[in-house]
Amino acid sequence: MPLALITALYLVYLIIPIALLLIGSFGNLWLNTLLPTGFTGRWYLDVVADSSFRRAFAASLGVAGVTCALCVAMGLPLGYAVFRADNPWIRSLARVLYQMPVALPPLVLAFGFILVFSSDALPWLGSIWLLAAGHVVLTLPYFLQTIVSDMQRLGLRQLEDAAESLGSNGLQRFLHIVLPALQQSIVAGLIIVVTLSIGEFQFSNLVAGFLNRTYPVVLLQAFYGATGFACAATVLLLALALLAAVAGSLTAGGATRMQVNAA
Amino acid sequence: MNLAVAPAVSLEGVTYRYPGSNAGVVDITFDIMPGELIVCIGASGCGKTTLLRLIAGFLKPDAGSVRLNGEDVSQLPTRKRDCGVVFQAYALFPHMRVWENVAYPLRVRNAPLAERRRRAFEMLELVGLTGLQDRLPSQLSGGQQQRVALARALVFGPRALLLDEPLSALDAATRVVMRDEVRRIQRGQNIASLLITHDQDEALSLADRILMLREGRLAQLAPPQEIYDRPADGFVATFVGRANVLDATVVDGTTADTPVGRLVTPSHAGTPGSRIRLLVRPERIELVPEATGENVFHAQIVRDRFFGATRRIEVSAGNGRLEIETAARDPVANVRVPRDAIQFLANIEGRKA
Repeated sequence: MPLALITALYLVYLIIPIALLLIGSFGNLWLNTLLPTGFTGRWYLDVVADSSFRRAFAASLGVAGVTCALCVAMGLPLGYAVFRADNPWIRSLARVLYQMPVALPPLVLAFGFILVFSSDALPWLGSIWLLAAGHVVLTLPYFLQTIVSDMQRLGLRQLEDAAESLGSNGLQRFLHIVLPALQQSIVAGLIIVVTLSIGEFQFSNLVAGFLNRTYPVVLLQAFYGATGFACAATVLLLALALLAAVAGSLTAGGATRMQVNAA
Repeated sequence: MNLAVAPAVSLEGVTYRYPGSNAGVVDITFDIMPGELIVCIGASGCGKTTLLRLIAGFLKPDAGSVRLNGEDVSQLPTRKRDCGVVFQAYALFPHMRVWENVAYPLRVRNAPLAERRRRAFEMLELVGLTGLQDRLPSQLSGGQQQRVALARALVFGPRALLLDEPLSALDAATRVVMRDEVRRIQRGQNIASLLITHDQDEALSLADRILMLREGRLAQLAPPQEIYDRPADGFVATFVGRANVLDATVVDGTTADTPVGRLVTPSHAGTPGSRIRLLVRPERIELVPEATGENVFHAQIVRDRFFGATRRIEVSAGNGRLEIETAARDPVANVRVPRDAIQFLANIEGRKA
């Protein structure tokens, strides 16, 4: 069973780092041994009590929230316009253009931001808005990719044709057909956006101001301290990302049910 | 025709070309009377769907006019035309339940909720879906989804019903059932309808009149029996049903030379030596034991295929070939082309004499 063996090895490879983090976060002492000794919950209490971590937690949530809002506000009309474009050349070109930031290393983006926004004309470096703006650049391609491919998969154009023939105008079509049909795609796209934003380090580390450093940036500091503390802080980041994903999918399910019950 | 009855749909000289291409429709003129079902057939890319989209308003004609109940709607947007459209892929709204899909046209017309429910349920009963009103479209079979689409297209009392290959996504058995259902429902609503298909059986069995398109132009518009028995030209003859089309040279008023041999024909006006084109349907040719009599030719089997109810034989006779469809099991030696089975087709197109 070579396939089963490979799968098993791959799973172990995936799980071990996370398992070690969990073990380490509850270990009392971990010095020059394979596994830590003693059991304690104090590392979590320490992280929660640490004001810089609490601030970072809030900053990360804030940045992720603003990033999501901007992605929807910009990405939905943009994706819809790309999808509805009559000229196939324009559609292809637009897809290439909006995918380009994927190839952009966050480090390069950060240098660009520092160059532009450390000037006296635009002294916004370190603000939470600028941080979110950078995250939008990095995450929007994924959001767009998700919703545009879903628009095609759902046959949105024909759904709209049908709605139009049944008598609905442009606004009604958008509210009654496009938005509800895309609801799950939007949420799926936002889950990607949130997890990317919460885990983003390279860009945030260079652009975040001291007072609104995001969680991964602060986490780096923890690695210079006690191992258990660092493990606990990392597990919390993991939990944060996971929570966002779960909350997202639950919202999607709930919203769909609400939509079905309404009307 | 009763002059007091005005056509429900009326196209006059409608022309549309897709920008940057030669595809489209040219100079289409025809009427659909109230309650009439016109089935539009033609090869793929001949402009069938374009025609439907022009009536529905998704496209605006470059020239000519579209009238619904006498009103010129050529420049009216789709949503103001009140045409019920049924799409090939159903186009049901996936997030709405069955009854909400059906009630949607009433919702955008601001009908009160109670009335929306009542009329949607009535329509669902009409199309045979009572009890399924709370399902989502994804929980229905293809045939059921098409019934929902039909109910949704009819619930607001449209001026015309337009069906774009409504049955082609269904499996063979369901298709035959739905074919009769579409006819029954369309009859019951007495609504002017245009149905597009590439299936000639569907066209022949459903239509009040068949509209045959060829490269964007109207090739023939006639009741099914007339299309089959008196096709306008060789193209229509071969597209609807199977056909032996014979190029012939006139000998005199009642005979013509064909590749198969000299044929005695019904009398015609062709001058001796001129070229004409004859049509003989395969099921009209007879197998005969004796090589004597009018229009009897010695034949050799090229291909002999058995389909149960019928047998389709291709034979060579003289310098030509004939296709024969027969129920007879007899061996083939001679074939007879009855004189009254011979029809004359219009001009010889794209072919040198």
